[in-house]
Amino acid sequence: MNRIYSLLLIVLPVLIFIFFGKVLLTDESELVSYYEPKPIPQFQLLDLQDQQISPSAFNNISLLNVWASWCITCLVEHPFLTQLSKNDIDLIGLNYKDSKASAQQWLQKRGNPYQFSIFDPRGDLAFELGVTGAPETFLIANQQIIGHVQGELNQEKWESIFLPLIRGIQNKDQ
Amino acid sequence: MIVEIAHFLSVTSAIVLSLILIFNLFFYFADSHTNQIILSNKLFNQACFLIFISFGLYVYLAAIDDFSISYIANHSNSQLPIFYKITSIWSAHEGSMFLWIVFLTIWSVLFVNSLTLEHPLKRGTMLMLTLIILGFLLFLLITSNPFERILPFAALEGADINPVLQDPALAIHPPMLYLGYVGFVISFSFITAYLFHGDFNYSWEKDIKSWSLMAWIFLTIGITLGSWWAYYELGWGGYWFWDPVENVALMPWLAATAFMHSLFASSKSSVLKTWTLFLGIMIFTLSLFGAFIVRSGIIDSVHSFANDPQRGLYLLGFSGFITLISLAILAYRLPQLQSSKLIVAGSKESFLSMNNILMLTAIFSIFLGVTYPLILESLNGNKVSIGPPYYNTIFSPLILITSIFMMGSIDALWQRGMQLRKLCIAVAPTLLLSILGVYAIWHFTQIFSLIAYVGIFSGLLIIMSYALKLFSSLYTKAYFNKGSLLAHIGLGLLFFSVSMNSILSYQKNISLFVGEEQFVNASLPKFQFLDLKKTKASNHDVVAAKILVLHDNQSIYLNPEKRKYFARGQITSETAIHTSFLRDTYLTIGDQLDNGSWTFSLQINYFVKWIWFSSALMVAGIAMTIFKKKIL
Amino acid sequence: MTASALIYLFLFSMSNGLNAEAVYMFDDASEEKRFYSLISEIRCPKCTSGSIASSDVPVSRDLKQRVYELIKSGSSNEEIKDYVKQRFGESSDYKPAFDGLNYILWFGPFIFLGLLMAIFYSKRRL
Repeated sequence: MNRIYSLLLIVLPVLIFIFFGKVLLTDESELVSYYEPKPIPQFQLLDLQDQQISPSAFNNISLLNVWASWCITCLVEHPFLTQLSKNDIDLIGLNYKDSKASAQQWLQKRGNPYQFSIFDPRGDLAFELGVTGAPETFLIANQQIIGHVQGELNQEKWESIFLPLIRGIQNKDQ
Repeated sequence: MIVEIAHFLSVTSAIVLSLILIFNLFFYFADSHTNQIILSNKLFNQACFLIFISFGLYVYLAAIDDFSISYIANHSNSQLPIFYKITSIWSAHEGSMFLWIVFLTIWSVLFVNSLTLEHPLKRGTMLMLTLIILGFLLFLLITSNPFERILPFAALEGADINPVLQDPALAIHPPMLYLGYVGFVISFSFITAYLFHGDFNYSWEKDIKSWSLMAWIFLTIGITLGSWWAYYELGWGGYWFWDPVENVALMPWLAATAFMHSLFASSKSSVLKTWTLFLGIMIFTLSLFGAFIVRSGIIDSVHSFANDPQRGLYLLGFSGFITLISLAILAYRLPQLQSSKLIVAGSKESFLSMNNILMLTAIFSIFLGVTYPLILESLNGNKVSIGPPYYNTIFSPLILITSIFMMGSIDALWQRGMQLRKLCIAVAPTLLLSILGVYAIWHFTQIFSLIAYVGIFSGLLIIMSYALKLFSSLYTKAYFNKGSLLAHIGLGLLFFSVSMNSILSYQKNISLFVGEEQFVNASLPKFQFLDLKKTKASNHDVVAAKILVLHDNQSIYLNPEKRKYFARGQITSETAIHTSFLRDTYLTIGDQLDNGSWTFSLQINYFVKWIWFSSALMVAGIAMTIFKKKIL
Repeated sequence: MTASALIYLFLFSMSNGLNAEAVYMFDDASEEKRFYSLISEIRCPKCTSGSIASSDVPVSRDLKQRVYELIKSGSSNEEIKDYVKQRFGESSDYKPAFDGLNYILWFGPFIFLGLLMAIFYSKRRL
């Protein structure tokens, strides 16, 4: 009996330490495959050009990027988004808790990488999506949200989180 | 220049500590142990002394605003009062780690020098302490260097520290907590040395008893200060959230409490020896675990300092190394440690065993709560949050079971069982009074919550049983342990107060224009917004409201404030609190609405003072135990 | 899903939406108590830890406002928590679900206690 206790005294702590070591070394991107797809919530909003937008505006594979003129990290993210918009992917903006004038001014000053930006001054659609702040980006395919990045989207996150998901969809289609 | 000297001293200390280890290992099998021990002790004292000087210099540098040092520039500011310049040292990772090491050193040097030369465990303890201090010192110097400079362009001014940290309670909270956390390195090292040494006839308990009790006191004060600060400063009216960082402070506390009790049994009756040794090791292990959790950023928490896997891995590896040494030696000695005596059911020893079991269960519950989200996420990616609803549900029955056993344990005897009939007669009055108490409370408040009433009942069981013991002992002029009685009543009061607080407290949201008043409820018929002033202080703007509240026929003036700090644009709320015997009237200002009125958040929190008082009782009780022994 | 969509449309159409001005007025005392109790159990999605009760960041305010509206429109605590979880994830509830793998969490401590007591009572020497 004693032998079992002696063994446990050593083995259990070792297992615990190994577990924590593993957790420490886990990368966010390794959890990507676990994201549960959600349907796009229903909404009827205008974009910054006063055009009616509804979920049908999301064709095939698109990125929905939450941004605002008051958001500093969005400035940091902007060049990468501009680069991304040149790819074969729909980049759609969600202007979050902003004024129309400031938003349009911001785009004019820094360039508009979005096909269009949904105007969400009260954050109603953002709330439905579970947005916690700006910037955040959602990957949408077949009217489903299949990926989510909180904070600045950069090359690293794009490659490790979104690209694998996109490839997964493209493979399925083929 | 001075910072380089301080840095140099710390490095030298690390070298000296390494030399002690090498020297002792090399000469372990040689003769003339006494000389080795004398030399090692001298070297150890010097190494510790170097660390003290190094830290002393660092404090000086913080006090004179040396912003060429990266850490001081990031966490202090020339406009701060000198007290906060110094306390800013432990407001973040590198500095607080330095403080941790200083405290490790203080405890160690005091303890080692308190052991006589002939003491068989002096050398082993000293070596273990050397190893631990060295490990942390290297961690500091290699991964978290507080001496780093930002040359050639020293900062002209420091970044202002979080205004929320400029508070006396919060300034002393880490030192108290660390003194407690770290104080148990003594029991850890001493027990490891004892196990290694192998002479199990030596009564080791008395050597570390007072030291452990003292560390317990610091730990209790540290945890209480944290809670107290959260209540007074943060403005949400809570004092405990089962946050991961609170939890990792609570686990060593529970282990320490179990250890104290087990030590008592072990010295009186030489049973529970293995339990006690195991617990003595566990406390510091849990402290190490706590340091790891907080500093590695592995669990998102309000306190989390770092987010650097290198630091986390070092801490994990080193903690694992130290822990495994101890546990391995314990495992090796396990067969020799078994007590030859069987524990009699119903004896005091059996109750103390049960106490150990319950404490371990509590520790396990918290550990499970803290690690389960990590386990789940690594298994299937699901994220789960574990907070007060979970812990309250789990602890409620545990507390009830604990208090029932506590009630039964009061008249238990050493090595002898109790007759069931006698036990029933003994506890009947307590049970009766407690049930009556619960009924009275329900009748008076008309509020019901299962979890809370379990807590109230448990608290009453403990208070009543110890109070009855007090009265009967006074009446029969029998001896009773005053310190223990006080501490246990304190615990019972804690359960009672926390539970009463949870069922009676309430909140209200009020919006008024200046000059308006409002009826709140029957006991609070008037809430009057008297005045609003906007002023400027040295480093912040102030919006101050003056409120008159009529509460239970008492006129109370409250002056809550909102502050906007220039340096970071941060907005903080200064809660206005009026305390009376049973309740606190707790008020914070919210926002100004578009229509010009202001919102207020009014809370009536019951029995909060009693919670702090419970903690004070427990500390007083244990203090009595320590100092009574000193007198004897 | 339909229930929450309906509630959403209902609110969208009649309230001034998420212009979260922190005013939570209740006529019913039990509703008020439910509100304060609920917000202490819903996790702030943006903070490292803490409930929306203790947090004042924009998304917390929005959530508090929404909880307030849902209580006033008659939703139960279950429904409100489900509503929040649908949008902000399972981890928004500080009370873990009582199903599946979580049984380990809820029963674990008591199994542990039982185990220790069993070992102790069978051995009675330590």
